Parts: sequence; structure tokens; C-alpha cells
Amino acid sequence: MSKEKYKLHPMSAVINFVKVLKEMIIPFIVVIVVNGFGGSEGSGDWSSYIINGIYGIILIFLLVSGIIKWKRFRYWFEEEELRIEYGLFVKKKRYIPFERIQSLNYTEGIFHRPFGLVKVKVETAGGGATKEADAELTAITKAAAEQIKQEMLQAKNKLPAELDESTGVQPLAKEEKRAIFKMSGKDLFMLASTSGGVGVFFSGLAVFASQFSNVIPYGVIYEEIVVFIRFGALIVVLAVFVVLLIAWIVSVVLTFINYYEFTITVEDEEIIITRGLLEKKKITIPLSRIQGVQVVENPLRQLIGYVTVIVDSAGGSLAEKDEKIRLLPIIKKTKITPILQEIFPELQLEPTLTKIPKRSRKFFYRLDYIWMIPVAGAVSYFFYPFGLFSLLLFPLSYGLGVWQQKTAGYYLNERQLVIQYRLFSKVMVWMEKRRIQSMTERATIFQKKANVSSIITTIKSGVTGASTTIPYIEKTDAEMLLNWYEPYRKTTIEKEQPLED
Amino acid sequence: MRAEPINKISKKGLRVWQIYGIFQTLIALLLGIGVWMINFFTGKYIWLYIVDVVIVLIVAYLLIYLFPKVRWTRWRYEVREQEIELQHGLFVVKRTLVPMVRVQHVDTEQGPILRKYDLASITISTAATNHTIPALITVEADELRGRISVLARVAEDDV
Repeated sequence: MSKEKYKLHPMSAVINFVKVLKEMIIPFIVVIVVNGFGGSEGSGDWSSYIINGIYGIILIFLLVSGIIKWKRFRYWFEEEELRIEYGLFVKKKRYIPFERIQSLNYTEGIFHRPFGLVKVKVETAGGGATKEADAELTAITKAAAEQIKQEMLQAKNKLPAELDESTGVQPLAKEEKRAIFKMSGKDLFMLASTSGGVGVFFSGLAVFASQFSNVIPYGVIYEEIVVFIRFGALIVVLAVFVVLLIAWIVSVVLTFINYYEFTITVEDEEIIITRGLLEKKKITIPLSRIQGVQVVENPLRQLIGYVTVIVDSAGGSLAEKDEKIRLLPIIKKTKITPILQEIFPELQLEPTLTKIPKRSRKFFYRLDYIWMIPVAGAVSYFFYPFGLFSLLLFPLSYGLGVWQQKTAGYYLNERQLVIQYRLFSKVMVWMEKRRIQSMTERATIFQKKANVSSIITTIKSGVTGASTTIPYIEKTDAEMLLNWYEPYRKTTIEKEQPLED
Repeated sequence: MRAEPINKISKKGLRVWQIYGIFQTLIALLLGIGVWMINFFTGKYIWLYIVDVVIVLIVAYLLIYLFPKVRWTRWRYEVREQEIELQHGLFVVKRTLVPMVRVQHVDTEQGPILRKYDLASITISTAATNHTIPALITVEADELRGRISVLARVAEDDV
């Protein structure tokens, strides 16, 4: 075990600088804009010099602090730990035992790629409380990244067998490496064009606008809008269309950049996802951390036969953004079986579902009527006659309820539970018995009378839990599920088919 | 038909819930007095006085008598060798099964009112969920906590 201390690549100084700059850009722009508005009213030249001077000083300060951060940063391997020393003013040290390391995630940004560098994020199992990754090496050469990995594997292999097993790294499986899925150009286009990215873009726009809300002279804009409206509705409609079109194109381009060359490989009992055009991202998920698998079909994509596959992974600072990892962002439904079969051989991919009894149907929509009756009543009364359209809510809600009832169902075998349900998108969830944290049977007074009850299962997802509900199944089936879940009790799993339907 | 869990919450727990109910009713009472005052200075509608009083009385009945009673009769728990089973709920009855191997830690907690009645609440946490038994006799709670932590072995790498 070498005790040589390593530095990061000098590029990390630049990257630190750019990163801070990026975080500051919005306040920066605001300051400049405000200043521009004030400054244009003939204040002296000297004041603009001072202001430019301040900007200059800030920039230099940021650059210098970036350099110092790089200068101060050291990492080395000692006593089977990854040790890091860093800090701008205060010197901090962090020691991470290799056996605690959950995964190493690599990212290659635009600044990394010309020099063959990577950013390495070290993630440990616990670290849920802190939002950031447990350790981040801003830029090191690929060889150095490989060295860290080797050190880690070496350290883990030295440990006794049972510990080794618990971290899910098997030395034997090392040679294994196969690309399981590569997203085709067509799939990429489908993903981009049907994604909710449009919404994201608009919310981004809203955020941007809110940043400027005290700068934009709304009064003036309002008057201009009034004039604008006089031009006629046609122009307005056109303008809206153009804006939507642009938003859509932007979202397509963004998705394209983010998901370019999306590839999944399985190596060392880990799933590795790589993607990205400008910034190459590499995410590692140990198979042993995966708690559940979901196939989601939103109605739009259901029409054209595309689905999304999501996995729930436990813990790790991955949780900051996506505890639900999109394993397959988009794929033809007909193609998922071989892929999932290869990654998760135990999953029962074509389960025969036990459906929801027909008498449960009313529970899917009845509760909604409670708020809909007064709302529709009030709207109809105050906005008569057009308010009467609100009455359409009732058949729509009924229709959705029936749709939900028809979709929902579950399948059970010795070790796993499969649940299918629909809120609006159709979702099928696979979970293993040993991954289920708790199971709850739930019934209202009315449901008790109808002899049905729901089952709620919770698995760990990210740092919290994710619950899935099997709605309103036969009471006897619900109890059978509880018996199935109850540990070490002899249970014969006999499928009780619903009497009706 | 699965049998209900055996143990009930201590009778003193019902008392405590009724005390909570009294506090909640006091808030409703203050609101009621507010309405009364406003009515006194502005409208002086007789019917509003009556409605005001009736609502406060109904709230008092529900919060102090009916809800605690139903809750108390519903509440059942059982700590078995391999699992914990809870049943509770006012309008919606929930029945939860937590296997011992999933339990990560157990906390007991005691507020001033609970302490006065020598009660404690006990919270069982898994990696993803929390489950609380609200009012147990302190000795019983401590004993239960001890038993659970003995029974709950460290989960393997399943989490």
C-alpha cells in the first residue's frame, strides 16, 4: 500500500473556477442588468470603472481560490482507506474506508475530455444526510481513476468472505463485461420528442423570469401586450405556437445531448450506465442495492408502444436527484423482456395477474365525487351556462376509475410480488419479498362491508421509502398476501380467483 | 380470517387521548368565542349563536369522547418472534406487518402528559418506514424495546 500523496490534474483549478462562475451567473446577470438600467442615465465614467474593477477583483479571487483549492487537494491510500485532504482556508481531512465505498461514479465534462480526464464521485452507503457526494475528485487522469478502483477492489478482496459478499464485489466476476443495451438514434428521437422536457423548459423559463421579476417593468409590458392583442388573435395563436415549437426543439436538443450514446453494461455485479454528448456521465449501481424494478407506460407512449424502465436503488448520494434511476429511458415494449431477463434473471416477466374484483370499482372514483359535487355545483351556478361543462368531470372520473380498475392486478410467487396499477400512467412493479420493508392492509368502513381491502407495500428507495398499493382486492387475498409476507410461517400459496369478473 | 393482534393499548392511554381531545377542543372553543364576539358586535343573529354553540359541543363530543374511544378499541399490537403486527385507524383501518429482520432501530419517547400517566410511545423504524405504538406503560415499553432490539438481527445486504 503506497503512501504517496496524489494531486488532482491542474485542469481541476479551471473546472473549479468555471463551476463557481456557473453558480454565480444568474445573480451576476441580474447585477449587470440592474446596473445597466441605472448606469445609462449619465452617471460619470469613473463609477463604471469602479464597478468593472469590482467584477475584475471578484473574477481574480475566484480564479485564485480555484487554484488554491487545487493546490491544497491531496488524496492517498492508507490502511485500506481513501484519504483526502482539502480546504480553502480550513484544512479538512476525510478518510473513507474502502469497504464502505458503494460506488465510484465517473463524469467527463467538456473540460475533461480533451485531456483524457474524469471526475470521480465516491459514494458510500449511508451518507444520506449530506447532500453532496461523500468525496469528489474534480479531475484526474483515467489511469489514476483506474488505480483508485484497483486499490478499492484489492482492499475489499482482502477482507473476510462474508464482508466481501455484503458489498457485492465478487473477484471472480471481474472478467465479465457486456453491453446489454444501446439506445438507437430512433429511440433517442422518440425519447426527446415525447419527453416531459417541454414542461421542464417552461418551468425553467418561469424560474428565470422570477429571478428578473423586480427588474422587468411589468407595467410597460402590460401596455405593450394590450397593443399586441389588438393585432388580432391570429398573431397571438401563432406566437404561442412558435414559442411552444421552440420549447419543444430546445427540449429535443437537450434530451439528445443528455442521452446521447446511452449504454448499459453489467460488470462485476454492477450496472453501469453511460450517456451524454458533451458531458459523458457514468453511473454505477451495484445490483445488490436495487430494491425494485418498474415499467412505466404513460398513455401517450402506450399508444406508440414505448415504455420506460425505472429501478429503485437504496441509499447513496445518488438520492439527491434521482433515487429512481431511469434504467431504460425509452424502449419498445416488445424488446424489454430479453434485456430485463439478462440483468435480473429472477424476475417473472410475464406474470398472470390476479385482477381486481368488479365490486371494487366504485372505490376508484367514489371518493373523488365528494369534492367534485360542491365544486361542479358552484361552477355551474356561478358560470351558468358554460359552467355546466364542469359536469363532464363525473363521466371522466368514472371512466378513469374503470380504467384503473381494469389495469390493476398482482402476481405472487414464492419470492416475489408483482403489482400493476394505474394512476394515469400504467406501472408494473417487481419487488422481492426480502426487499419489502413493511406491508399494510388498509380498509375503510365501506370497504370492510364490501369485503375488500388494499395492500400497501413499502420498499427502500433512495434515502426514504417508496410505497406501492394494490387497490381494493378481495379481503381473503389481502390476508393471503399478509400471510405470504409473514416470515417463517408455513403458508401454502393458493391463488384464490375472484368470484365475479 | 387472520386473527387480530392480541395486545391492546393500556386503558390509561385512552385517558391521555381524552386529555389531548380536551386541548384540541379548547382551540375550537376559542374559535367559537371569536365567532360569538364578532356576531355580538356586528350581526346579532340568534341562529348564529345557536349554530356556534352546537358546533363547539359536537366537536367536544367527537374529540373528547367518540374518537379516542374508537381509536382505543381499534388499536392492537403484537410483537412475535419474527414480526411485529399493528392495527389501528379511526375511519380507515390499517394493519401493518413489520418483519423483525427489517427493523433498524427502536425509540421510546415520553412527553409531559405521557410521563404523568407513566406511559411512553415506542417507534419502530425500518430502512424506509416508521411505525409508532402511541401509549404503552413505561415498563412495558422498555421491555418491548429491549425485546425488539434483541429479536431484530442486523439485516443482510437486502436494504
